[in-house]
Amino acid sequence: MPTTTAAAMGAAQRRVAGPSLARRIEANPFTWLVPVAVMLGVFYLYPILDVFRLGLTNASLVGSDERYTIVTLQAMFENPALLDILKTTAVFTIASVVGQQAFGLAIALLVMRGERRKLKGMVALRTLVLVAWVIPGIANGLIWQMLFSEAPFGAINSVLRMMHVSPVAWLSDPNIAMLSAVISNVWRGTAFSMIVFYAALKAIDPTLYEAASVDGAGHLQKLRFITLPQLRAAILVNSILVTIQTLNTFDAIISLTGGGPGRATEVLSLFTFNTVFRNYDLAGGSVLSVLMLVISLVLALFYASFMPRREVSE
Amino acid sequence: MMRLRLVTALLASAAAFVAVSAHADNLVTKDRVGPADAPKSFTLRLTNDGPTSTDPVWAEGYQKLFSEFIQRHPGWRIDLERMSDNIGQEQARMLEQAKSGNGPDCAAVDSFVLALFKGANVLKPLDEYFTKEEVADLFPFIREGITGPDGKIYAWWWNTDLRVLYRNKEIVPDAPKDWAELKAAALASKEKGGEGVLFNGGRWEGTTFDWLANFWAQGGKLVDDKGKPIFAEGENREKFLKAVNYFKDLVDSGAAPKRVATIVNYDEFNAAAAAGTAALFIGGNWQYGQLKNTLEPEEFAKWTFSEIPGPTADQRSTGTGGWTFGAFSNDPAKVAMCAAVVKEIYAGPGNALQQQLPTAAALYGKYDVFKTEANETFAKALVNGQARPGVPIYPEISNQIQIMMGDVLSGTKTPEAALDAANTAVQAAFARL
Repeated sequence: MPTTTAAAMGAAQRRVAGPSLARRIEANPFTWLVPVAVMLGVFYLYPILDVFRLGLTNASLVGSDERYTIVTLQAMFENPALLDILKTTAVFTIASVVGQQAFGLAIALLVMRGERRKLKGMVALRTLVLVAWVIPGIANGLIWQMLFSEAPFGAINSVLRMMHVSPVAWLSDPNIAMLSAVISNVWRGTAFSMIVFYAALKAIDPTLYEAASVDGAGHLQKLRFITLPQLRAAILVNSILVTIQTLNTFDAIISLTGGGPGRATEVLSLFTFNTVFRNYDLAGGSVLSVLMLVISLVLALFYASFMPRREVSE
Repeated sequence: MMRLRLVTALLASAAAFVAVSAHADNLVTKDRVGPADAPKSFTLRLTNDGPTSTDPVWAEGYQKLFSEFIQRHPGWRIDLERMSDNIGQEQARMLEQAKSGNGPDCAAVDSFVLALFKGANVLKPLDEYFTKEEVADLFPFIREGITGPDGKIYAWWWNTDLRVLYRNKEIVPDAPKDWAELKAAALASKEKGGEGVLFNGGRWEGTTFDWLANFWAQGGKLVDDKGKPIFAEGENREKFLKAVNYFKDLVDSGAAPKRVATIVNYDEFNAAAAAGTAALFIGGNWQYGQLKNTLEPEEFAKWTFSEIPGPTADQRSTGTGGWTFGAFSNDPAKVAMCAAVVKEIYAGPGNALQQQLPTAAALYGKYDVFKTEANETFAKALVNGQARPGVPIYPEISNQIQIMMGDVLSGTKTPEAALDAANTAVQAAFARL
């Protein structure tokens, strides 16, 4: 059997020469992780470290003598506006996260129900919701600015007038302006939550619902005792993602209210943007960026602590 | 035979014309002016005022001006860069690039931030490219704005603007001369179905700039000679509060709608004028042309403008802005080309093309477009023009005035409390500069 002999000789030679390149790479994952590590290091880690460094300087877009100091750190945390901005950020974030998840879940349930009943137009409904998601933040802000306009020809107020309802100060009243900002953000972000929940709902074993029906459970009972517990992981993951996304939202607010009236809708991300690009305070903006990073991490860890743990046997 | 020659000559001429035209067209592309293989080149960063303007008339006009320019300067190519509409961010980014030596060779610099560029020592002097007579012919606030502490000029301010009070003559026949008259006229216009007087009151630079005319008209000063903020001290505090209370009273009395606290764009006034809901608004001089283009001729004929009313008829002021060009290159030849771009394209021809007010008195007589009654009136009003202080703390002062205005107009804070909060923030920022 010459072929078998040749193959055996080749294998023996490879054993003498050592493992193949593919096998060596497989045996040593560090080698193939290096490109990813370098990419992440250069494009993610280095900027983060540089932001930490800049936060400990007096760097500005205007000045030239950069030196290390804790004065910036002190000035940012002693800024009397910071507390109000953090409160505004908290209200905006909590309302947006709750709103986006509630509407996202409602639409996902609606789509699932429609699909179960084989109703037409469910794909169109999903697509329609997604349209809002792909609209850039600035455009989203401008669209809602036109809708909320308090001018006599403002869209929503004109409809209210036709219905003999008093027009609403959507953007000029500080309290209502926050509600308007939340509505515009929820409108845009709901689609993302809908996709996450739709995927999670698809993964729920239908026999659970069948068994519940046999036991005589109603719709609300099924939602409470089957759907929501089964969606727990999806809700928590979605909460992390939506929270981080909302904390970073400033483009929609800047074009909707600019942060006003006064500071009524100025969230931390917008305050950071203003600090760097309007006040030219690079160091101050870096301190605020680090603060945003810390808040995001703490909230992510908080949510993660509620994540269902995998069993050891799994 | 004669006929054949004539036809041949005509065809040759036509072919030559087409070739020259095609050549001229090719000279100006989306990102380049001049031949791609030109031995020398420089980068030019522009706003909407250039060959890639979104306004087709301006774009065509600048393409012609740039094409002629590059043919007068053989061997050169201009690499065009375009700023987005987010001017504040664009200028901040450009300043950072210039500081690190990566800025464009020549660029449009907003007069509002020129002081920051001068203070960062990134601009190259342009004295040798402009005669003393040309510099002397500039309006005083323009000359002061472009001059550095060493007496050299570091940019060329080629257009300016100012704020005026627009009114619908049918509803408000006489120009209000002082604050009381404006309030009365606004209230009267409301009785005829209007919204009262409109002005910028939201979170943006226009709010500060337009309102400052009321503070400046009283002789108020934002900063002292050393650039320290003094707007909340002594007489300035009184003048400041008087001007804030004036706007507050307009809103509280109903002479201005509450929605002014949301206005962050001059276009809102054009929209209100077109919708017939506004009879009075404080806007920019450039809006006169916009109104002409927006309104039907018979509607436009109802509109006119006058100086912004002051606390008294003889106390007037108006904010003036505009655009400059500055050179960042270390190569003297590129700096010279930058100066040539300003002189040959923008200062004069560019003003006429865009109907934007020139900064030199001589140019008003040179172009017919500035001999119109409207433009002559604008030019006269420039006498009371006041530029924003060219100091590094100004952006924070402006930011705090915007916040203060929102708080006061929405009733969140009293003018005194809002002023104190603004001053505290500004002084803290100043201490860190």
